[in-house]
Amino acid sequence: MDKMIYAILSVKKKSGKLDALLATLKGISGASLYAVVYEGIIAVVSDIEKSDLITDRSNAIEYASIIESLVQQFPLLPMCYGSLMESTDAIAEMLGRNYTELRQNLKKVENMREYGLKIFCDPEKLKSEFQAISKNDINILIEPSTEVKNSVYREYVRNKLKEHRLEESIMTYVNSVIAEISGCLARLNAVCKFKKMPSATIMVDAVFLLRKDKKDELLKVVNDLKNQYQKLNFVLTGPWPPYNFVDTRIK
Amino acid sequence: MHNNVVDRSKDVTILELLDRVLNKGVVLTGDVVVSVADIDLVYLGVKLMLCSVETMNQLKSGKSLEKESNI
Repeated sequence: MDKMIYAILSVKKKSGKLDALLATLKGISGASLYAVVYEGIIAVVSDIEKSDLITDRSNAIEYASIIESLVQQFPLLPMCYGSLMESTDAIAEMLGRNYTELRQNLKKVENMREYGLKIFCDPEKLKSEFQAISKNDINILIEPSTEVKNSVYREYVRNKLKEHRLEESIMTYVNSVIAEISGCLARLNAVCKFKKMPSATIMVDAVFLLRKDKKDELLKVVNDLKNQYQKLNFVLTGPWPPYNFVDTRIK
Repeated sequence: MHNNVVDRSKDVTILELLDRVLNKGVVLTGDVVVSVADIDLVYLGVKLMLCSVETMNQLKSGKSLEKESNI
């Protein structure tokens, strides 16, 4: 039977608090949760048969709910779903091998929460808006250099330049939005990560890590941004455990 | 209108949750690779203004997600 690891926690003092919490929770397939301890860092685990490790919506939500319950009381590093090891000894050895890095990451996320912000756009409207702006630039740039005014080659170059200018304009706009968000969140000492145009409709995909007592201020910032960029849709979710801010691969 | 926004809120939250749990977090090198069954992580036609949403407790209890504030 394998061991499923849900999260790695930091517990300051030996107290019954964690055990009491684990007693109230059930893992995947209703398994009991227990702690594997190594010098103040703890892996929360349950026993699991590999055949029970089905990645469906229900199990994934169940898994995430355990992490969510734990993060309310302890700083933790959430594990990616499907984190299995063969025994508690192997887990303890793993915690020992990676102790320093785990400690550093746990310190980084203590009292912090993650939020996600996706900014959606209408790609056709965005293109139309920037096409109008860049049209004039293209006309100025392409001067007739020969007697043949409607050369197919000239048309090809014109279209290519138009596409390039359009992409450039849109990316400049996206960068300006990101700069605005970063500027506003700097006041909250938030750590920010951005992805630009991950899809045609998602203009910005951002995650922030900030102190858990800064939630209301974050809401105000995002509300102000939404009013500033009324053509864009802002989707803010959270608070989450720090899934996107645990930059480590465990050996 | 309110129910539609709440339902969309729940959909978006589930998408965000699944994306995190399946793709993010600490990774064990040499993990078992699990196959994904019936999980669609694609945002399709999301056109909504959403407030911050509560996460697991509401999903598990089946309660409507409460809007904390309108964004």
